[in-house]
Amino acid sequence: MEAAALAPSLKNIAPQQEYLLQGSILDTHRDVLLHRLRGLCDNAERNFEAFSDYEAVYVLRNSSTAQQSQNQHVTFRVRHALDHSDAPDHIRYLGQAELGDRSRHTLVRACLDVACSSNVRDFLTEMGFRIDHDYVVKGHFFHKGRMKVTVYKIFRLIQPNKTDPHNLEPLGQSHLVELSVVAPLGQEQIGEDMKNFAEQLKPLVLLEKFDHRKIQ
Amino acid sequence: MAAPSVNISVEAAIEHQIQEVRYDGQEIYLAPLSMSENLSKLAHKIDFYKDESEEKGKPTSEGEKDTDEEKVLAPFQPSLWPWDSVRNKLKNSLTEISVLYDVLNIVKEKHYMVTDPVSQDPPELKASLQMLAKKKSLVAAAQLLSTGAERLKRVQVEMTSNTQDNFLMELLKLRRNWRLKKVHNTILGELSYKSAGSRFWQGGTFEVLKTSDLAADGEVASRKSSLDVSIPSELEGVAYIQVEVKTVSDLMDLTSATLKMPAGLGTVSADAYWQQKLEVAQNVLFCKELFAQLAREAVQVKGTTPHMVVGNQILTNVFPGIQLSIVLCHYTGKEKKVNLAPHKLEHNHVLEHSLHQLLREVHDRNLNYSPPHPANAMLGMSKRRRLAGPRAMSRSELVEMVQSESLLEQILKQTKHAVLRIRTMHVIDQLAVSIQDPQICAHWSCLNSSLESSVRITITSYCYENCKTLLVLLIGIDTIKVVMKDGRVCTLLFENSELRDLIQWQICQHHAQSIQSLAKMQGWQVLSAIINSGHGDMEAYGTTTDVMLASPKGNVILAFHSNPVSGNKLAIKKLDPSLDAHISPAVTASKWASLAGDFQEINLNQLEGRNLVGKIDMLMARLTSS
Amino acid sequence: MGVSCVFSYPVPEGRSGAQVVDILQKQVETMGGSKTGTFYVDCETYQSVMLNPPKTLHILHNSEYPASCFAILDSGATLVADTLFIALMSNLKNIYQAWKGAKIESKGNRFQLADFILKIGSVSLAGSFKGILLEVEYCPCIVASECWAMLKELLQSLIGNIAESPPSALKKKKWMKSTPQQPQCCSTWTISTTLGKLPP
Repeated sequence: MEAAALAPSLKNIAPQQEYLLQGSILDTHRDVLLHRLRGLCDNAERNFEAFSDYEAVYVLRNSSTAQQSQNQHVTFRVRHALDHSDAPDHIRYLGQAELGDRSRHTLVRACLDVACSSNVRDFLTEMGFRIDHDYVVKGHFFHKGRMKVTVYKIFRLIQPNKTDPHNLEPLGQSHLVELSVVAPLGQEQIGEDMKNFAEQLKPLVLLEKFDHRKIQ
Repeated sequence: MAAPSVNISVEAAIEHQIQEVRYDGQEIYLAPLSMSENLSKLAHKIDFYKDESEEKGKPTSEGEKDTDEEKVLAPFQPSLWPWDSVRNKLKNSLTEISVLYDVLNIVKEKHYMVTDPVSQDPPELKASLQMLAKKKSLVAAAQLLSTGAERLKRVQVEMTSNTQDNFLMELLKLRRNWRLKKVHNTILGELSYKSAGSRFWQGGTFEVLKTSDLAADGEVASRKSSLDVSIPSELEGVAYIQVEVKTVSDLMDLTSATLKMPAGLGTVSADAYWQQKLEVAQNVLFCKELFAQLAREAVQVKGTTPHMVVGNQILTNVFPGIQLSIVLCHYTGKEKKVNLAPHKLEHNHVLEHSLHQLLREVHDRNLNYSPPHPANAMLGMSKRRRLAGPRAMSRSELVEMVQSESLLEQILKQTKHAVLRIRTMHVIDQLAVSIQDPQICAHWSCLNSSLESSVRITITSYCYENCKTLLVLLIGIDTIKVVMKDGRVCTLLFENSELRDLIQWQICQHHAQSIQSLAKMQGWQVLSAIINSGHGDMEAYGTTTDVMLASPKGNVILAFHSNPVSGNKLAIKKLDPSLDAHISPAVTASKWASLAGDFQEINLNQLEGRNLVGKIDMLMARLTSS
Repeated sequence: MGVSCVFSYPVPEGRSGAQVVDILQKQVETMGGSKTGTFYVDCETYQSVMLNPPKTLHILHNSEYPASCFAILDSGATLVADTLFIALMSNLKNIYQAWKGAKIESKGNRFQLADFILKIGSVSLAGSFKGILLEVEYCPCIVASECWAMLKELLQSLIGNIAESPPSALKKKKWMKSTPQQPQCCSTWTISTTLGKLPP
């Protein structure tokens, strides 16, 4: 009994991958999309599940090699829920995104989510990390099976480190839409499922795999 | 052309084409085409093959015209390849037309060649054969026409008979309530609970049929609906889960574990409305899933007493002598009518309902995870499990988190509670009926759960309601917690006798307390009051409560003795004033000297009064003045 | 979550570590302790490469908290995280490198004796045997100084005079509490004792 209970926590060090599709929708049409998603997703009979998270991006640079190669830095994204104070903070590490060829329907990247105690910001600073930028995301969450759909808007902090509502400035006039699954590598069926799901959201929103390197 | 020339330009109307109409009615326009785009678009529309066949008469001029056009167009198109096909086609047609032109010239000139018609023999006609063939084709045509006419007629009849009930309207109604999809020529529906979170292996696909296609002409009118559903054979019939709590002899009753099928359940008639048919079939599927789940758990769960699964029945022990049986009754109408003796079914609707509820909760849990916060947290973990890492939860806390109760365990708990509650109710009612003095009154709280309920018992004597004894019973799963008047808590097990003993003991105490309050009012003095007295004869069960009282003057001593088994006894002793002289200095008053000695028993039945407290009240009032 | 105390038990000459562990376990069993599985505590140490100033990070796992991973910096800052945290470290290998020779672990059996939990484990540093540790936890109490006497009584019957005086950490922080809100205290302490008591 005990062994069975403890096994999952110790075993899941297997590398996890995030399969991701992204798109955007104008603020004025967001509600239409929310209702469509409510109809398609599993938690249909409940109300919209809202979330409001603060995310700070921390970077650790190797001080001596800073001039030689800018690539040698590690980014950790620390997130915590503003509306659920009891929820743990999360460190998220995202690997290099792989677009793959045409046959692959989604973007795939290594992904590591680690829940941790709330002193994580101080701890990372102590470890040598420096804060790079921070923002607040607010939006809604849906799920269909293991697919997670988030429709959210990014807010800029006018003054750093203050997350009260007066200090937030919305960025752009649209909401981001993300369809993602976190699963072990090599499950190609997921991409297929996600593509089929994304099909059902057309023409409201076009979910595609975006190459973030091109945007930068 | 006498009038001054007016320039008329011929071009496409300046009207924006609509690309998309949104759900809110807004139209999205396409920008109008530029001249060159328009031209190329029009050029694409020209079918050059068609030109070739139709306009053979004036080949040269057309061909030249086309080539001209091509030359003109060339500079318009910076990249030539979209025009490549056009050019090639034109070139080909030019060549062909030139050849045709040459051939025609040759034929016309008649210098080198003469063309003559070739004479052909007229085909031999066999009249009989021809007639046969014609007849055959006529018959085929007639058949087609007549079936078509028949169909039209039928549709006409349908339309005239009930315009509302046509197939498409029915289909629309069906579509509102059930999941449908079209596969080739058939329409398939789904009645399983898979989309609601069920993980049962058995599917529930049904087929939608049009009754007019099936029925012969005569039956059309008798049909209620023009839509019918065909349900898989394993889901036909009526099913329900029969839950029964019964008293058995100390061993598990195996003889009852036979296949029982109440014959009077009734089936769904073949021409029932589709909605009813589907609902019944869905219920069959649900019952099957429920039973399969329970049977699996019954085999897996290692209880103190093993559960038994026999055929379509699950047997398990609730309390010694009480057995819970859960039976899947599925009546398809094909079974032989077994004339069972009119067996009185002790079907427990509440527990059946609980079972349904429990399975639906399982479905709900399968579908609804606790939402992740922050939004990138892992899906499918409980809120507490997410906190386990950061809060450093210990091993035991984690183990506790993983443990979950199976459906069978939960229903067993509910059954235990239900049995215990009914037992308690019976005990209290029996006592209230059998014991007239004092009165026992039970107030059941209306707010209870399936695992806990409470009852407040008030013990009062008629006319002396100011003195009452209160008891609160909290009925749990297999124990009863009793909170007594003085705040003491005691826990009883499920046996009836424990509760009966307790209440009877409380009645004895009630008597003693009433008498004490009487004494206070009448100025008597309580010499001693013992709740659990060890004096007196040995009784079968229960403990005795004793009270001794002295009259205000101190000349009469009353001793009251109450026991659940032997009943209430009252004894009296009158003091002889002459004894005063012998009092030792340690005894401050004469009443203390008379605790022992000869008491005379009073026959309580002979006393006047409505009840025990009343009788003693009378007696005390009489003795006070004496 | 109670008060726990860790002692290093000397290995007499001429006896192997396994023998001593065996004897201790038999003693606990004769005292009435029942075996409730095994336990492990391990600590990996990472050192920063070319960070100024250099930093050391300890990553600690304890089987009493199977879902958690404790990260402790040399400055004393402590982070409690999911077990997955160790996977994050592999992404930092350019900056924080594992110090191969400093992996220390203690493994052994766990015994329950009424309100006490006893753990007897052999300690190995980078794979080689270093000594024996005995951990005693008294579950119902969270104030260390209040239950020292009780711990001492049990310990003296088990390991004799080694438990004569409380460990230095206990002396210093007389009122150290390990409440569920600060579970790190207990673990920090375990590691500091583990590291401090053993010859490197």
